[in-house]
Amino acid sequence: MSAPAARIEASALVREFRGGAGVHGLDLTVAPGEVHAIVGLNGAGKTTLMRLLLGMLRPDRGDVRIDGVDVQKAGPETWRRVGHLVDHPLAYAELDARANLRAAARLHGLDRQEAAAAVDAVIAEFDLARYADVRASRLSLGNRQRVGLAAALLHGPRLIVLDEPTSALDPAGVILLRESLLRRVAAGAGVLVSSHHLDEVARIADRITIINDGRAIGTLDPSGVDLERAFFAAVHADDRARSAA
Amino acid sequence: MNGMLHGFGVAFAFEARKAVASRVMVSITVLLLAGVAAIALGMLLAAASGQEQVLAKLGPIGELDGWARLVGVVVQVTAAGGLGAFGVALSWMFGREFADGTVSALFALPVSRPTIALAKLTVFGVWAAGVAVLLTVVVAVLGFAMGFGATDAAGVVELARVPALAALTALIAVPAAWAATIGRGLLPGIGATVVIMVVAQVLAVSELGTWIPIVAPALWAIAPASVPTAALLTVPSVPLVFGALCALAWSRLQLDW
Repeated sequence: MSAPAARIEASALVREFRGGAGVHGLDLTVAPGEVHAIVGLNGAGKTTLMRLLLGMLRPDRGDVRIDGVDVQKAGPETWRRVGHLVDHPLAYAELDARANLRAAARLHGLDRQEAAAAVDAVIAEFDLARYADVRASRLSLGNRQRVGLAAALLHGPRLIVLDEPTSALDPAGVILLRESLLRRVAAGAGVLVSSHHLDEVARIADRITIINDGRAIGTLDPSGVDLERAFFAAVHADDRARSAA
Repeated sequence: MNGMLHGFGVAFAFEARKAVASRVMVSITVLLLAGVAAIALGMLLAAASGQEQVLAKLGPIGELDGWARLVGVVVQVTAAGGLGAFGVALSWMFGREFADGTVSALFALPVSRPTIALAKLTVFGVWAAGVAVLLTVVVAVLGFAMGFGATDAAGVVELARVPALAALTALIAVPAAWAATIGRGLLPGIGATVVIMVVAQVLAVSELGTWIPIVAPALWAIAPASVPTAALLTVPSVPLVFGALCALAWSRLQLDW
């Protein structure tokens, strides 16, 4: 059997909520070794899309495959290759950073020795040594997000899904994350990341898809010079087209 | 199967770590032990001084002496107060994942959510067993301090009713875990606990509900002779049914609120 072409593939994905919000027929792929960014305004459907991709929501129609496996039927072998941070990091207030990371490593399928090594490595990678023995409840929002990102990445996932991963990070944290993702992409991981900070996303994305009203309405060229102007032009054109329809 | 057991071991260690690190579980333990001891001591002293209202409240227990009276008071208080404590603990263990938002981190893992839910219930069971033992120790210390070791040495066997009642009460609190899951927060779990407590206490005081599993422990606390052992053996049906419902709810869970 040949290896699947996509780390994740969503086809004709639909999940509609009362009032019309949701995802309305969306196709999306992330290839091995690729960073695919999705950008959109608040409420565009980015988080709903990510929840559907990870089985946090069941679609009304359409399907999602991770390394060729239907998400609804995915078992431990599929999920141990996935790392995500959607909504809230795996950072329990009563546990210190190291204990949270150890728990994440074990829950992602690493044995005790592997977990200990992975925790040490990710603490160094995300510059968390100063906070390793500090309870998560006492960490700043940004450092809690660092712990959450470290928890999502420490087991070497082949598919990485991150929703607004830099929303609380300081500039140093943004650089650490960017470098961390690029290392994993170079090793063959596929990354799906959402953001509304176009410049920061553009620095590492291979592809940028614009999401508006639960649909993919176009793409942006990551090497383009004025991404914000192009983004708003696409969103406003889509809004006008839907209003006219 | 090995994978499932491995996953359960990981989830159990994870949940146990959270429970041990949390001030919530320690606080509930201390409040329950101190509360039951203080109320029991207060009622016994009031009854000993002949206060008629307290004697009326104690009912048939007021006519007993020594260990039997002490244990009778303790199990009555535990049937209500212990249920509250166990229900709050379960509500926190399950409802906090929704209140804190950490539930999203429990998706897309090799360890399944039903496994995590069952691990939570197992940790609860171990903790509740520990509370039952500690409560028995506290009551024993109280009894010996009151001199029952000398005045009622044979009655010390009554102490066995304390851990039995505490364990039975913990078992009937399990619906709180299911309510906290489907209600996605602590309050639905606490609400379910209050409902169980009211139903159990009202029916037990009316000496009804011998064969209703959520009532039998409270009735056994008030009038042990009126509840056959077979009726107490129906009590585990509550955690079995609601544990299964809980696992199903965690399996079907969606972040759609």
